[in-house]
Amino acid sequence: MVTINYKNAAINRADNVYEPAEDSFLLADAALEICTDGMHILEIGTGTGFVAAVLQANKDIRLVATEINPYAVECASSNGVSVIRTDMFAGIKKNKSFDIVIFNPPYLPTSDDEKVPGWLNYAFDGGRNGRDAIVGFMKEVSNYLSENGIILLLISSLTGIDEVKEIMREHGIQSGIIARTKCSFEELVVIEGRIV
Amino acid sequence: MKKDLMEILACPICKGDLVLNVEKEDENEVISGTLYCSVCNEYYPIEEGIPNMLPPDLRE
Repeated sequence: MVTINYKNAAINRADNVYEPAEDSFLLADAALEICTDGMHILEIGTGTGFVAAVLQANKDIRLVATEINPYAVECASSNGVSVIRTDMFAGIKKNKSFDIVIFNPPYLPTSDDEKVPGWLNYAFDGGRNGRDAIVGFMKEVSNYLSENGIILLLISSLTGIDEVKEIMREHGIQSGIIARTKCSFEELVVIEGRIV
Repeated sequence: MKKDLMEILACPICKGDLVLNVEKEDENEVISGTLYCSVCNEYYPIEEGIPNMLPPDLRE
């Protein structure tokens, strides 16, 4: 088993699970900046549990994560993350109980012939314009965020930064970029969102 | 899963409350059991400490 060590956390990887990459590191770093002790945090689509495990290793928080890929569920659990197997927010109560909701969505524009077989497709496939999962997330997220709660969303320039900010605006969410990194043919950004 | 997870778990179909039935647990966690929604008359399994909240037709 291959283990990644990062900022006091040790994270196991697994087959058929998205491998932590530049996007995961950027999001974990940004989340560490925003997160404070005592917060109640939800991560949607945790994958290996990388971001969640890094937060737990450095902050005194309550964190739960969701994930649909059974291999990722098992992997995240082995990494000490309290994970629920469900589609996005489906198995979670709408009682506005989270201070931060974190999402590293499938954000790549994906045509039918670019889909990958099996569960791993869920990690990449953002639909034709890369924003399908993000639209679904933004429709729902306000049911789960506490007052003054914060959304942390990772996307790529390939997803369309302005378009994503517009989707957030349509749902009454104020957005701003809090971290960014150039990465060969794309730029990765972390968008912070707050309900206004 | 820890029992305090019940505070946030909902039926994925009706979003209502669930009833926890424990089959096996240790001092910290529920290892196996079910989560029951009386409105939908549906059971969601807990296996190896992980609640599976997929609707029955999507469950493996």
